[in-house]
Amino acid sequence: MLRFIIIRLLLLIPVLLGLLLMTFVLLGLAEGDPAAAIAGDNATPEQIQRIREELGIDKPVIAQFGAYVVNVVQGDFGVSAYSNRAVGADIAQRLPATLELTFVSLLIAAVLGIGFGTLAALWRNSVFDYLVRIVSVAGLAMASFWIAIMLQLLFSMQLDLLPLRGRLPSGMEAPAVLTGSYLLDSLLTGRIDAFVQSLRHILLPALTISLGGIATIARFTRSAVVTTLQTEYTTYEEAAGFPRRRIVFPYALRNSLVTPVTQIGLLFGAFISSAVAVEAVFDWPGIGSYLVQAIFNSDFQAVLAVTLVIGAVYGLVNIAVDLAHALLDRRVAERL
Amino acid sequence: MKRFLKSFAATSAIALCFAVSSIAPANAQSKDELVWGDTLPSGLDPHVVYDVYMQTFMLNTYDGLYRYLGNPIELVPWLATSHEVSDDGMTWTFNLRQDATFHDGSPLTADDVVYSFKRLLEIGRGPSGALAPVLKPENITKVDDSTVQFLLNEPYAPFLATLPLVSIVNQELVTANEVNGDNGTAWLASNEAGSGAYIFDPDTYVPQEKVDLKRNKTHFYGWSDNADPIDVVRAYPVKETSTRVLALMRDDIQATDGYLPPDQVAKIDSTDGVSVRRDESMRVMVIRMNNSKPPFDNINFRKCVSYAFQYDGFINVVLKGLVSRNSGPIPNNLWGVPEDATGYTYDPDAAKKYCDKAREEGAPLDRTLEIHIQSELDQTTQAAQLLQQGLSEYGVNVELVASTWASLTSSTGSAESSPDMWVHWVSTYFVDPENWIGQMYDSSFHGTWKASSWYKNAKVDELLRQGRKETDRNKRNAAYGEAYKIIVDEAADLWIYNTIALRGVSDRLTGIKFSPVGSGAEFRWMSLAD
Repeated sequence: MLRFIIIRLLLLIPVLLGLLLMTFVLLGLAEGDPAAAIAGDNATPEQIQRIREELGIDKPVIAQFGAYVVNVVQGDFGVSAYSNRAVGADIAQRLPATLELTFVSLLIAAVLGIGFGTLAALWRNSVFDYLVRIVSVAGLAMASFWIAIMLQLLFSMQLDLLPLRGRLPSGMEAPAVLTGSYLLDSLLTGRIDAFVQSLRHILLPALTISLGGIATIARFTRSAVVTTLQTEYTTYEEAAGFPRRRIVFPYALRNSLVTPVTQIGLLFGAFISSAVAVEAVFDWPGIGSYLVQAIFNSDFQAVLAVTLVIGAVYGLVNIAVDLAHALLDRRVAERL
Repeated sequence: MKRFLKSFAATSAIALCFAVSSIAPANAQSKDELVWGDTLPSGLDPHVVYDVYMQTFMLNTYDGLYRYLGNPIELVPWLATSHEVSDDGMTWTFNLRQDATFHDGSPLTADDVVYSFKRLLEIGRGPSGALAPVLKPENITKVDDSTVQFLLNEPYAPFLATLPLVSIVNQELVTANEVNGDNGTAWLASNEAGSGAYIFDPDTYVPQEKVDLKRNKTHFYGWSDNADPIDVVRAYPVKETSTRVLALMRDDIQATDGYLPPDQVAKIDSTDGVSVRRDESMRVMVIRMNNSKPPFDNINFRKCVSYAFQYDGFINVVLKGLVSRNSGPIPNNLWGVPEDATGYTYDPDAAKKYCDKAREEGAPLDRTLEIHIQSELDQTTQAAQLLQQGLSEYGVNVELVASTWASLTSSTGSAESSPDMWVHWVSTYFVDPENWIGQMYDSSFHGTWKASSWYKNAKVDELLRQGRKETDRNKRNAAYGEAYKIIVDEAADLWIYNTIALRGVSDRLTGIKFSPVGSGAEFRWMSLAD
């Protein structure tokens, strides 16, 4: 198992290098360098040229790439050309917010998706089954920013149940930073008020992001459970007089979860990308909104660093998914 | 099965339970706390970043020698008490007030002023572009503790008007935080070293997300003209317009940005407790034409384009009349606009006539022309589509190209790489015709985004340079007026409208003093009712 983890971690390195190279080349193709924007609204051509030299944009792409990789290996993501702040520090401040949002969304998607999917499989072709099918197709089809606004209108404006935006009410002190997740930090430091507020603030954005995921997971779970329920061993169990819930809960469900769990790993990437739109609507201070700003400013250092970090997190999550497979299926564990 | 169902129902209901069980107390906000929903600048160093959002930060946390106040705008002495100019217009001497102190309590002296100007020019970013061509760092000198002298390379009449661009920073504090001779830029990007009416709280700062400002009770200007000032301003930008408007309606924030889209205005105005302020600003929307590229090098074609745009339709229908028509390269509410100025109107017959003429003269009108828009700004798309549709009537094919401010401004470095057409605004950086007509049409500014129409006319160059050098206001007025007429007559660009700032504000918030510089975001005049 340990060997498996180490090999997978090592394999991550060439993947990330490739990702970096691709982003680098794409950014180079997208022409437009940030020097004029940085120089400011009243800049002279000489000022712009000077900044271009400072940033090294006038050098060949390969030289720029080499220099960049060397810096990143040393843990230096460079300085945002636009704000003059260290990109690494900005990301460190924002990444936990995005991760928290993504994990809570995944949790909602997994619990509801697996639940609905299992029930739909058990009550195959019932009204409930059709309902899940309709809702899940709709959940996949609707644009997340639109759902976000609709949820705001309903829960914040009409019903006044949940906050509109942000992570905490304005003026409330954030819990001391331990993990960067307000939910965990507030629990660990005993700040119940902050915990309740962070939970209330995360619900709408997390629900928005998870809708598409609930749909996907429900569909995959349903078909997997349906297949499992048709296997010979379930027929045997039924014949042997096992109660239905015993058959479903430990046996059929466990054997059906491999596909949904793979989906959860893939969804993680999808969730991070939909966080870009959702974070903006809910003012969630994560890397999604940071990335959007960086793109509009042609702030290449920031774009590269965010891409790299998301790539690394994605890679790690997929390793975790493989480990989860091992937990679900002993046969997989033996091969690791 | 039952138990399974039960456990599932319990889990899936968790989310809903939290929602229902914790109905929060209404947003109890104290009357001394203002939540300001407008965007924060991308960095906080006033000598590095310079944009509309920076103006809010600068005006509240920093002071300059002079300051713009009010609408119609007025330039008033601020840290300076008075100034003298030599007869040749090159030596400027400023007397400083002696009661100004920085937020750390140290006095603001001539040394800090000299340091700030030199720092700005050395870094060479942000607002330095307005000063760099006429001022060398070594020509800024301290005469005594309360007197500073500037020796310009050449006479430059707008000099005084550019002074509010320069924030005075605390020399001791900034130099103490220098790393590897960076002029303290890394530190000041996330800190503040000013003397302004509000004090930045570094502990609350999350870039582009939030920061708290606290009232500086000992500011030199005093607080006698505001009986009930706001003690804490929480700058808490809301990114999406729709969320921003909802947040205002919920009283989560008490003010939005100053450029609300027209479709949101009616929504706010029809809601109790909030309304939209309308203040005529100085920000001109322009559709640029690259005068150096065929067919735009043909004056008749440019006239055709100028007559083909539906100005009234755009202003009254698309923008619901919430802007004012501005038909030339100086905002109508500034001096320099000739009294008998006329611009272009939508006139299909004239457009056809000029396009036919241009064709006869061999202008390549069958080439597909590109108009670049700024993706994040809907109005640039709307204007471009209207022009596209207008020109299609005369067989001219226009294609929209999505772009961003950063890539557009970098493409304007040469005539070849500048787009055929692009849409943007010229905001108030300093209040002088030089900020608009001067830097847009003097050919010595070619290569900057402001001069991206690559317009060149020897007579106009001469007039604009005269306007820049001349100290007599009447003579300047005449020079700019004459240049204005030539430029409009030659249809260098399409000038569309002058912006009316549209800021949604809570009725609880009073005392806003609008000025085209800073768009009324100076907190020192404001009060908040319960």
